[in-house]
Amino acid sequence: MEPTVTLEVTGDLNGVPVVDMDPFDLEYLKRPQSAWEDLRNVGPVAWLSKYSHYVLSRYDEVKAAQNDWRTFTTTGGAGMSDIRKPDNYRPASVIVEVDPPKHTDVRKAVNKVISPPVVRGWREHFEADAEEMIGNLLQRGRFDGVRDVSEPYVLKVFPWSIGLELNREQAVAVGDLNFNGLGPKNSELLAKAREKVAPFLEWWHQSIKGETVKPGGAGELLFKLEANGEIPIGLAGGLVQTFLRGGLDTTISSIGSGLWLFAANPEQWQLLRSKPELLRGAFDEVLRMETPIQTNFRTTTGPTQVGGLPLEPNQKVQLLLGSANRDPRRWSDPGKFDIARDATAHVAFGNGIHACAGQLIARLEFDCVMKALMKRVASIELDGEPEHRLNNALRTLSKLPLKVTLDA
Amino acid sequence: MPRLIFKSSNGDKREISVEPGTTVMRAAITHNVDGIVAECGGAAACGTCHVYVDECTLAKLPAPESNEEAMLDYTAEPRAPNSRLSCQLKVTEELDGAVFVIPEKQR
Repeated sequence: MEPTVTLEVTGDLNGVPVVDMDPFDLEYLKRPQSAWEDLRNVGPVAWLSKYSHYVLSRYDEVKAAQNDWRTFTTTGGAGMSDIRKPDNYRPASVIVEVDPPKHTDVRKAVNKVISPPVVRGWREHFEADAEEMIGNLLQRGRFDGVRDVSEPYVLKVFPWSIGLELNREQAVAVGDLNFNGLGPKNSELLAKAREKVAPFLEWWHQSIKGETVKPGGAGELLFKLEANGEIPIGLAGGLVQTFLRGGLDTTISSIGSGLWLFAANPEQWQLLRSKPELLRGAFDEVLRMETPIQTNFRTTTGPTQVGGLPLEPNQKVQLLLGSANRDPRRWSDPGKFDIARDATAHVAFGNGIHACAGQLIARLEFDCVMKALMKRVASIELDGEPEHRLNNALRTLSKLPLKVTLDA
Repeated sequence: MPRLIFKSSNGDKREISVEPGTTVMRAAITHNVDGIVAECGGAAACGTCHVYVDECTLAKLPAPESNEEAMLDYTAEPRAPNSRLSCQLKVTEELDGAVFVIPEKQR
């Protein structure tokens, strides 16, 4: 079936093609690939007349913008609205939406509490949880890759590593609000997310207080840094919230998408089992194919150029990460799930100073779940139609019926 | 093409010729230079592509951005004033003859 979104070039803005399309249209969110292709073919940059912002959809341009915080700042907010303007004002995220020099100390604090040695130290615990969970499911033979695997697993190990506890309903509500909030202010998805999150707001505000954090996790370390005067007062709570915002939905998405892609491409599962060393690269390939955070925004700090076309200062620039990760200018046969390709250059984690700080945790979670399956599962099959939970910025499954066959 | 020289902690030396535009880490991986792990694939997120850069080359390199700067504190071998993450170093013609000493341990 052809997608219903059509792309019309209606004029130009100083040479930048103006298009009349809505990347937050529900039909587009359901099946974005073909609209991305249209947009990439329009040019290295386009202007969306509906929202009055620029959009980058090709790989080189998206990556260059991620790498250049001086020109493409996040301080105007990671979403569509400029958070510095009175109508949209909200406090900036303490790490995502600040630039150097302020960013540097915050990033150092984050790196300290989730440093590579710290995360490597979690492996045993993450592995044991994956083994236990997968072991129980394999006895059943049929299960849901999201409700029984990606969601409960991530919600068990990740909050544990920070020192928090939360249930599925809370996590989904906060995640829906967070990622829908990157889109238009008047979005229906956002309005629904606001309703759903209301009962949990008090809990959410409590979560940033030191007393609710259990000892032994990254959260406690942050509050200790704050108490010792190593980071400013108030920062630890903001970072705990950032961890929850950035660390749950994204990894739930990647594990779910990974299971889906392997179920839909059985020869890739066979390949992975015969060459387990491909697992690390398989994770990057999953992120390339089904980029968890599909889009986010920068703001131009001054006049600049993209692909030779002039951009005006103080304008929002939408980066289509999912599109960049399927740009045929960069990837051969981009729609093919191929775990043997080198996909590490994908833009799903960002690049430059704002590149995902928690990616080793994301890798660890994926690694543990997949290894537990690889040990015993001969084949994974779809056992019904998968469904996505539509969101303005997050690509994630809500339903993934699976059937597994174990080794004889 | 610029030539890059990698020295391992036991004195082994590898010289490779590299097209400009890639990163020092990627060049090392492509040429199977031992001791560059690059667990995170080049995102300055794991500190396992740590190298010590010769003084002359160091002066030619742009200073580390904040993400590299922060990660350099978590390398397995101690950070030195000439420590860099090779995934953040772009290969340019200027780097011809650059010497990178690979630490004994990366994690």
